[in-house]
Amino acid sequence: MTTHRTCDGLLRRDLIKAGILGSGILGGSLTLADHLRLARGGESESGVADRAIFIELGGGPSHLDTFDLKPAAPDTIRGRFRPIKTNVPGIEISEHLPRLANCADKFAILRGVSHTLAAHELGREYINTGSRPLPSMTYPGYGSVVAKQLPTAEDIPANVAIPRVGQGPGFLGLRYAALETNSAPQPGRPYSVRGLSLGGGITVDSIRRRQTLLNQLDRRFAAVEADRQLLDGLDQFGAQAYAMLTSKRAREAFDLTQESPSFAAQFGEDSFGLSCLLALRLVESGVRYVTVQLGGWDTHQDNFTRLADQLLPKLDDGLSGLFNGLAQRGLLESTAVLVSGEFGRTPKINERSAEGGRDHYPRCMFMLLAGGGVRGGQVIGESDDTAAAPRHHAYSPDDVAASFYANLGIDPTTEFQTESGRPITLVRDGQVIPELFG
Amino acid sequence: MTVLPFRSGLLRFASRSALVWFALAASQTNVRAAESLPPLSSRFATGDVDEVPDFQRHIGPLLGHLGCNGRACHGSFQGRGGFALSLFGYDFAADHSALTDPDTGRVDPDDVEESLILFKPIDADRHEGGQLLDRHGWEYRVLQRWIGGGAAFSGELHQLDRLEVTPIEIVFDEAGEAVPLRVIAHWEDGTREDVTELCRFTTNDDSVATISATGQVDSIGAGDTHVVIAYDSAVVAVPVLRPASVDLHDVSPARPSDHPIDLLVAEKLNKLRIVPSAICDDSDFIRRVSLDLTGMLPEAAQVERFVADPSPDKREQFIEACLSAPSYAAWWATRLSDWTGNNEAKLNNALPVRGLASKLWFGWLRQRLADNVPYDEIVAGIVAAESRLPDESYLEYCQTMSEICRSEDIESYADRPGLSVFWSRNNFRTPEERAIGFAYSFLGVRVECAQCHKHPFDRWSKDDFDGFAQLFAPIRATPTSYSRDALPTVRQLTAAITDGEELRGGPLRLKMTQALRQGEVIPFPELVVASQQPQRRRNPRFRNITPPKVGRILGEADLVEIQGDPRTGLMDWLRHPDNPYFAKAIVNRVWANHFGIGIVNPIDDLNLGNPPSNGPLFDYLAAGFIESGFDLHWLHRQILTSDAYQRSSDANASNAADTRNFSRHVPRRLPAEVLRDSIRLVTAGAADEAVARRELTSLAISGDLATVRRGRGDFALQVFGQSTRESNCDCDRSDQSNLLQSLYLQNDFDIHQALRQPGGWVDEATADWPVARRGAAGESLPPRGLRTRRPETARGAVEGAAMRPAMESTGETISEAVLEQRMRRQAAFRVRRYLQLSEQRQAEMLPRLRREIAQLNRRLVQAGRPPLRFNELLRQQRTLLAAADDSVPPGNDRDRTTEATTASVDVEPAAIESVIRQAYLRALCRHPVADELKIAVDFVRESSDPVDGVRSVVWALLNTKEFLLTH
Repeated sequence: MTTHRTCDGLLRRDLIKAGILGSGILGGSLTLADHLRLARGGESESGVADRAIFIELGGGPSHLDTFDLKPAAPDTIRGRFRPIKTNVPGIEISEHLPRLANCADKFAILRGVSHTLAAHELGREYINTGSRPLPSMTYPGYGSVVAKQLPTAEDIPANVAIPRVGQGPGFLGLRYAALETNSAPQPGRPYSVRGLSLGGGITVDSIRRRQTLLNQLDRRFAAVEADRQLLDGLDQFGAQAYAMLTSKRAREAFDLTQESPSFAAQFGEDSFGLSCLLALRLVESGVRYVTVQLGGWDTHQDNFTRLADQLLPKLDDGLSGLFNGLAQRGLLESTAVLVSGEFGRTPKINERSAEGGRDHYPRCMFMLLAGGGVRGGQVIGESDDTAAAPRHHAYSPDDVAASFYANLGIDPTTEFQTESGRPITLVRDGQVIPELFG
Repeated sequence: MTVLPFRSGLLRFASRSALVWFALAASQTNVRAAESLPPLSSRFATGDVDEVPDFQRHIGPLLGHLGCNGRACHGSFQGRGGFALSLFGYDFAADHSALTDPDTGRVDPDDVEESLILFKPIDADRHEGGQLLDRHGWEYRVLQRWIGGGAAFSGELHQLDRLEVTPIEIVFDEAGEAVPLRVIAHWEDGTREDVTELCRFTTNDDSVATISATGQVDSIGAGDTHVVIAYDSAVVAVPVLRPASVDLHDVSPARPSDHPIDLLVAEKLNKLRIVPSAICDDSDFIRRVSLDLTGMLPEAAQVERFVADPSPDKREQFIEACLSAPSYAAWWATRLSDWTGNNEAKLNNALPVRGLASKLWFGWLRQRLADNVPYDEIVAGIVAAESRLPDESYLEYCQTMSEICRSEDIESYADRPGLSVFWSRNNFRTPEERAIGFAYSFLGVRVECAQCHKHPFDRWSKDDFDGFAQLFAPIRATPTSYSRDALPTVRQLTAAITDGEELRGGPLRLKMTQALRQGEVIPFPELVVASQQPQRRRNPRFRNITPPKVGRILGEADLVEIQGDPRTGLMDWLRHPDNPYFAKAIVNRVWANHFGIGIVNPIDDLNLGNPPSNGPLFDYLAAGFIESGFDLHWLHRQILTSDAYQRSSDANASNAADTRNFSRHVPRRLPAEVLRDSIRLVTAGAADEAVARRELTSLAISGDLATVRRGRGDFALQVFGQSTRESNCDCDRSDQSNLLQSLYLQNDFDIHQALRQPGGWVDEATADWPVARRGAAGESLPPRGLRTRRPETARGAVEGAAMRPAMESTGETISEAVLEQRMRRQAAFRVRRYLQLSEQRQAEMLPRLRREIAQLNRRLVQAGRPPLRFNELLRQQRTLLAAADDSVPPGNDRDRTTEATTASVDVEPAAIESVIRQAYLRALCRHPVADELKIAVDFVRESSDPVDGVRSVVWALLNTKEFLLTH
């Protein structure tokens, strides 16, 4: 077998011996408390999450029309929407997010997050990894890191995406790829997940019967001593797939009809709300990481109509349902939530369409964090008078990634190895944001 | 410093590549060590010494040896404690000024002992990095004398001629043995010095041997590896071997072979006392060669014929047949697409129409591979690609390209000499990205380390990287790059399309696409060399792309002046017989395709510290390949006709642990495309299979599937690790296994559908079997052959499906997958019905057909499924109908399909047996052994629906390791 060396001239095995690879290889991890102690020198915190939900707002939502309004700015910037009060004194958000306003105590708003990548693909990669994209390697998305670092029961997938992930497993390898559902649940329609749902005449019984046959016929290589790693890997994943297919737990987690109608009602009647409900059921049943995608935020034209009529009502219903639902089920303490698009949108309203639109703007954007050790009901950071730049401190996607990982008890300075043996720090330049956990 | 002109045909080699010298260093032992300076430790053994150490030769390496410039210490980019050294050294000027910065007190010639680099590391309390120096040690005195002597650095670098390491090879017998290395530096000025204690030592496998900081090699386990020695700019690898202590009495010797590859492999195996495995049997051979060389599972009938063929040279014949098969060109175009980075997502704006650039790229490669164009010529067409033909005006170029894009005329594009889209990728724009990508694609070298610091296992420095990158600076290939003479035409064409309106970005693109469809000529971007665009320099926005005057070819000592297009010079350098990488990179990749592991691993990481597992073999193949005129067929033939390639996967006592010396076949999972296609071929009906094999339609190796767009590509290909072609690494392709693959194989809609499709293999093979209704076994039904008859006729297929009770699964909610399947069947049915109409009727019915398909598409999209593509559908069904008319020779089972008469739920055991045999041949390329046959036949007989029983057997075969792996 080839043993890869690190860029440092050290062998991977040396690193393990020396213990400097830390949690990356050994599976241990730093607690959030450790982090905060490091970050602030002393005090400790509790309440670390052990699972996570990432809401990816593809296209780049306008910060000015959602969570960072500037009612005092000129017309050409302010836009049509007015701020409303939330259930936390002093915090105001868009009038089109009334239900989120009613649960603002459950999440923290981060304003003045800033980066420089204004293309969708690059921005998405940055936001999904917390590291600026490089030409020579690909960083893993959060879900793949979580799947690698936190053990998961055999009959449940570790990492699920509804419907897809924004970032693959990168240098961690295919083993940590997400189970992509490929479709989102639709109101009034049965929901099936590719590869997992049974249908078309296939029943648990027929799967059992086929498996018995397979065990009898899969005999070549059975007694081979060499290459056990490859062969055992195939056997192990085959057994896991079988366990999942025949597991009641996995099937029921994906079955939204099992949910009580009154509980489900608070997620709204849209596909995004149902996806949030599904995400909740999945983390409840032991899935470690769920991505939910809501696209359509690329509002170069008709910004206000599209936000007011479609996007914000969906977001308001689904996301408030998720925050409230997690709290009602007692899952908010154990579930880290991150909500983000790839960038914000230009303060200045363009004239591409009658009512105007906003263009890509990475220099200033918002994100939401909740769950685990995150203290809800606060705004962290601030943008300037026109929401064009951070007023004081600029938080980077790296900082957010470091905080998100820290909230999950994963040391953001964990070291991994690429296939070529290059040592990689999980989050290169990020600092945990201590205020989040204050 | 000499500066050579660098342009087409003028490239000369000023000095012998330093690399070659270093590679030779280990084998030159005629130097009398007595002439060398003794090591520093003896020269500085006492304080009584006048010598002042040299910064480059002694101080820099000593700091490296002590670990000061490591990544975790002062080599970190942020430094440590405010003090930063270059990672792995070799940036002498920067390190010297960091040390001697007068404000820091790190080095203080007036008060030597107070210098921080002496004062801190002698005390663990003062130095965060611990105690590294002993006040009475030689290392301390060396630093002390250097500071005392003025802490100088001349700024001029000494040239290291070579590094001599003895012994040149270490062969151990047992654990516990140890050998010390001795390292002599030979400087250009004639000085020789024992520098053993200043080197950086590493082992490539510490389960075989370890190496200490003083250069002592200790035997740990059996096997073979290298220890690597680095000093100044040199890197030398010394092989370390230890044969396994295995009793060879029970191992039967391999048959003798005088094949050059076998002789060279045997030489290494003998040293390790490894006896290779026997030669594989015929069915393993035909499966292996088909999969490796053509990416395709062999046909069942072909397997039977091959196994029965008595001719002694049938293996050679079969290899020749594969080399001329269309699937050969398709599969290798897939591999070359991986290595050259053919990625539709990165080609987003390379052409005014989307989704086509990667297909043109693939087709261009495929045509050349089909014609067996020499590899260096293929690469020349890529590296030195021009957008236009020599005499083509810009307008003619746009006319041709517009026509090509309008009609997706891949062949016409392939006829053009240059693959200019290679240069248009949006991750291949900056000189740095191109240096990394170019070195990856054509040299199999990773230079990205040197972008920031000296390469840890090769001699590349930041200077080498920067100089190399400069060679790419003049090339522009963006969505809006045009040569100067083209600009008026560009404006004209654009104005005609937009009616003079000022449009940019998406809206402009939309107009272009529409205009193209309506038959208009639209402007195409072209690759330009910046010196042809002097007017650009006046624009301050483009000032930074003004071409620099000099660059450096990797591994050449001298700078070259860049005049005109540097790419022709680069190409001359690539194909020059002395080029140390070009031939080896492709030889290693082809070898790894056939063996699953390269002669160098990782496959795309040729560097001095990562030597080949079998150097003579590597040299032989590379030299032979160059001599053959870069003939890829020669290379394949050489490899595949060797016993080394044809060995069985059954290990013996001596070679079970060997995975790097080619003593047996090491199983690996089939590549994504091959696995996906194999499932199709196993489960396809005769007509579909014949078309797929002949035309490669619907197969992944044909490059037709819209590949590598995240979330949009073929599901199976993504799950099984098709190359993502995005990060300049052969590791973008994966043969790892994971959970999703197992879920896919066990329960994906693709698999269920493949087994159940009307007109699929199971359907055909069991066409004369009675079918049982679910839950009502024993009920008598008319033979299905009467209903499905010819599965390739549209009506038969669709009606058959409609009547298939198993599909309905009454009482269950119908999954979206089933809905989709149904809609696709409906679409196929309508298209076929349409195609069977007269031409006149077709013209009348076309709008209606379009409406029907559009309606189905709306439902598909609602269900979250991908829509059907009208033209593709038309093409597919047309091919299927044509194939049906060709009347494919029916197999054994097909004969019975049409003459089925009697019906009974109990299918004859002989009939079941025959179907099971065919299934084994199709999936595993062999007949079942007796008890396998019994297990499978019994299973079918015990199934309430015997047809479903056959589906289960095929399902099980597709899930066996024997199917998923090579063997």
